[in-house]
Amino acid sequence: MSFIVESLRVALSLILAGDRDVVSAVTTSLSLALWSVLLAAAGGVPTGIAVAVGRFPMKGAVKVVLDSLMAMPTVVVGLLVFAFLSRQGPLGAVGLLFTPKAIIVGQAILAAPIVANYTVAAIEGADDRILPTALTLGASPMQSLFQLAREVRFGVVAAIIAGFGRVISEVGVAMMLGGNILYYTRTMTTAIALETSKGEFAFGLALGMILMAVSLAVNIFLTLAQESHRA
Amino acid sequence: MTAAKYQLSAIEACYGRTVAVAIDELTIAAGELHVLVGSNGSGKSTLLGVLAFLNEPHRGKILFDGTPVTFTAKECALLRRRVTLLHQNPYMFSGTVEANVSFGLVSRGLSRESTRRVVGESLERVGLAGFEARKARQLSGGESRRVAFARAMACKPEVLLLDEPAAHVDRASAAQIESLVVSLVVGGMTIVMSSHDDRLGAKLGARVIRLEEGRSDPL
Repeated sequence: MSFIVESLRVALSLILAGDRDVVSAVTTSLSLALWSVLLAAAGGVPTGIAVAVGRFPMKGAVKVVLDSLMAMPTVVVGLLVFAFLSRQGPLGAVGLLFTPKAIIVGQAILAAPIVANYTVAAIEGADDRILPTALTLGASPMQSLFQLAREVRFGVVAAIIAGFGRVISEVGVAMMLGGNILYYTRTMTTAIALETSKGEFAFGLALGMILMAVSLAVNIFLTLAQESHRA
Repeated sequence: MTAAKYQLSAIEACYGRTVAVAIDELTIAAGELHVLVGSNGSGKSTLLGVLAFLNEPHRGKILFDGTPVTFTAKECALLRRRVTLLHQNPYMFSGTVEANVSFGLVSRGLSRESTRRVVGESLERVGLAGFEARKARQLSGGESRRVAFARAMACKPEVLLLDEPAAHVDRASAAQIESLVVSLVVGGMTIVMSSHDDRLGAKLGARVIRLEEGRSDPL
């Protein structure tokens, strides 16, 4: 027990002192997660809207595939993207492997099905009068879809935040595609894995606490936003 | 003789395998008020959805201003700028009354100044002048229906389709809506209005279309 208490004390002092390694891992994690979730939203939100309102053959099958992709193991995504980005892979010449961009690509692939699925749920749960109302007021189909997304914007934001939660806490993609390079591709999760395996439990705990705080802050923000929308 | 706005022939609209509307011939005259009378489930809302180009009939032919309607997405989008349907239970978009009433105008690319002017005029006509900044979802049921009316009217459509506009409103609001409808028809608008009330057609001097189990019987 005293080991844990001592580790907590060291962890807090590392955070309060603004330890360079801690700060670097935190900022790298946040910036990579932000970019990857933006990329995932750019693909996931329109896909979710299209799946929710579209009438096309095999729609049920597409939804099952999207559902299944949500549970895709991070290391499998890492492996697949690694295969494409490695020297022998079709995109090897681009030289993205072990760069932050590689992590962004991998994490975006990881988050996109989550964003798409949550968007589908938000749209399907929306009032079914929205689209006919927009259409009959003379909005084009695209304007009507935009209005639909606007009406369920908090569901869409929740979808994006769920995607953010997935990528900020994952370790497989960041490790395999980023290579855990200090001050470059080392994220909070890869640093926790590395430092804990080295016996630096306090350092890992410090990052773990920050990771928890970030997750909590994101959830509080979402809850407050939804409450203000209802008011 | 008044020109025909719509000419429907052998129209059939279905929900799954159920035929909701089956009309052999129906003409809606331009610039006139028509009251669509029928009991619940008689197909009034389905027919209005077809006339609003929101639902494509499964069979039959529709002429709008003498031109056959093919129900392509592009054609429907253009026609919906000329025809507006006010739903029985209108949906209020989130945001202010002004955002709601201006929706159709903004979609049409009207300038901000003109939009504001038309919104003000439309709200004034339904007795809600000065309501622009109010939250649309915080209005009473009667106020919401009047805002929805103003929103539809603001689009200045050639045809206004009203699905039981006076349902669930008090007598004074119903009378106000009826007088507004009459004034719009006098101004040249074609209006088709559904109602349960058999006497409404005679009261407003309208043409009556009776629907029974989806079949029409123009009187």
